Amino acid sequence: MEPRRSRNVTARAAVPPGVPGAVPEDGETAARARGDGAAGRAGVAVEPLPPGVPEPAPEVAAIEFDRVSKTYPNGVVAVRDVSLSIAPGEFVFIVGPTGTGKSTLMKMIYREELPTSGRVLVDGRDVTRLPARHVPFLRRRVGVVFQDFKLLPRRTARENVAFALEVTGVPSREVPRRVADVLEVVGLAGRADALPGEMSAGEQQRVSIARALVHRPPLLLADEPTGNLDPDTSWEIMQLLSQINLRATTVVVTTHDKMVVDVLRRRVIALDAGAVVRDQRRGRYGG
Amino acid sequence: MGSTRASPRGVRYFLSEGAQAFRRNGLMSLAAVTTTVVTLLALGAALIVASTLEYIARQLESQVQAVVYVKDGLSGAAVDAVRARLASLPGVTGVVYVSKGEALDRLRKTLGSDVYMRDVLARNPLPASFVVDADRPDRLDGIAAAARRLPGVETATYGGSTAVRLLALTRMVRLGGAAVGAALALVALVIIASTIRLTVFARRAEIEVMRLVGATAWFIRWPFVIEGAITGACGAAVAFAAVAGLYALVVHGARDSLPFLPLPGPEQVALSLSWKLMAWGIVIGVVGSLLAVRRYLRA
Repeated sequence: MEPRRSRNVTARAAVPPGVPGAVPEDGETAARARGDGAAGRAGVAVEPLPPGVPEPAPEVAAIEFDRVSKTYPNGVVAVRDVSLSIAPGEFVFIVGPTGTGKSTLMKMIYREELPTSGRVLVDGRDVTRLPARHVPFLRRRVGVVFQDFKLLPRRTARENVAFALEVTGVPSREVPRRVADVLEVVGLAGRADALPGEMSAGEQQRVSIARALVHRPPLLLADEPTGNLDPDTSWEIMQLLSQINLRATTVVVTTHDKMVVDVLRRRVIALDAGAVVRDQRRGRYGG
Repeated sequence: MGSTRASPRGVRYFLSEGAQAFRRNGLMSLAAVTTTVVTLLALGAALIVASTLEYIARQLESQVQAVVYVKDGLSGAAVDAVRARLASLPGVTGVVYVSKGEALDRLRKTLGSDVYMRDVLARNPLPASFVVDADRPDRLDGIAAAARRLPGVETATYGGSTAVRLLALTRMVRLGGAAVGAALALVALVIIASTIRLTVFARRAEIEVMRLVGATAWFIRWPFVIEGAITGACGAAVAFAAVAGLYALVVHGARDSLPFLPLPGPEQVALSLSWKLMAWGIVIGVVGSLLAVRRYLRA
């Protein structure tokens, strides 16, 4: 059984999810969204911003972890007192050895796992207090991509992407156009009728990215998206994720891919044994 | 409750997915249907027996007549004396004498004109009797008791005394039927749940993706609920055909051999049985399917 926090629904949780541009409830949230308190409390040095780089939007963080810890029922401590804030439009790498809680951190964002303690805010809303029936609506606003793609093998690329719309009740007349658009974005317009088995690993990952994007989520999570890919393909996928980020989508990527992290020089959050050990604005894999 | 439930495309999707799964599970579906049939057979039989008994009992109960049988070979004066005493009992509104000969004629009429009693029987075995009318059914118990104490009276009965025994029997049949039905329903539930779990397992990748991209729990559940409902409805249809057919046969036979027995008509019985069995079948199927998907949908 997973540990659950208080079940009572607060006024905030009762707000229908999926409403864009949620307003912070109090000044405290806004302050934390700037990330000034969070990293400092964990005792981690934040690199000062180079002059000319604008401060992240001061309104509401896209993602905020507030003293989050997660202990699995078998006693494994996956995440230890993590506080961090990711602003809308950021591109963030989460790096660290295998088994340091990177995936758990991701799962808590889309409510696949609940923290043992602490709060996880997405668009300013505490998802740990989200009633179960609202979770599907959270997931329509958070695209998720995995190492193993999770494509349905008997459906074509087009059908795999359309599936995400069909099972969420999008009117059928909208589906073909939206699927075609997003396949175009990931560079698979010509491969729409291929089955996953007929595609390369890189193409399959593009299909899964297209599926994650087809709801036009403001937030895209990629959990080891290049774990099964050769270096060239990995580079292509990371470039695709960067392009998606340029379209104002917040992107969070967990990775082991040192080369990519070091070339892209984006924000890097390093985890070790479930705790944040480094958070750099333009970081490298190894610090 | 998902917002997607109302979409007509959704409904077609649920129905076709549910029906497909039912067919794909082949032998397991058959096993699930068979168990449901057995469950509903027991339930249906109990329902019919109980409702027939109750029907007969109510018929008897509604009669406001007692029958007072007189001893054989009573003189005309003695018969008149009994008649006078009966007429003076409280609540009695009419007393009609039925001689041995008339009793035989009546029996012949109810049995049909092609039966010739005199050919079969050497002597008339029927007693003479008084048919006593009362103003209210609840008077009959007292009237019968008083009549039994009169000289020259063999015994006295009324429909209500039989009705009380029949109603007690009805209650037992109902209780027994409910107990057996509940036990069998539990078995059917488990088998249906195991069958549908096969579908859930076969489609776990799809379920995972659906959860991931934000399908509501009810959207994911519907195809399984429909598979369960199909299983239950098939079981109910077979059980209904068997029980209703059997009852029609019994009634047909009884009309020839026991024409005086008031039995409810087969059409009337079939009507009330059909929706009861269908409702129970579908409830069992749906609950079974919900059990099957429960684990996979836990957030």
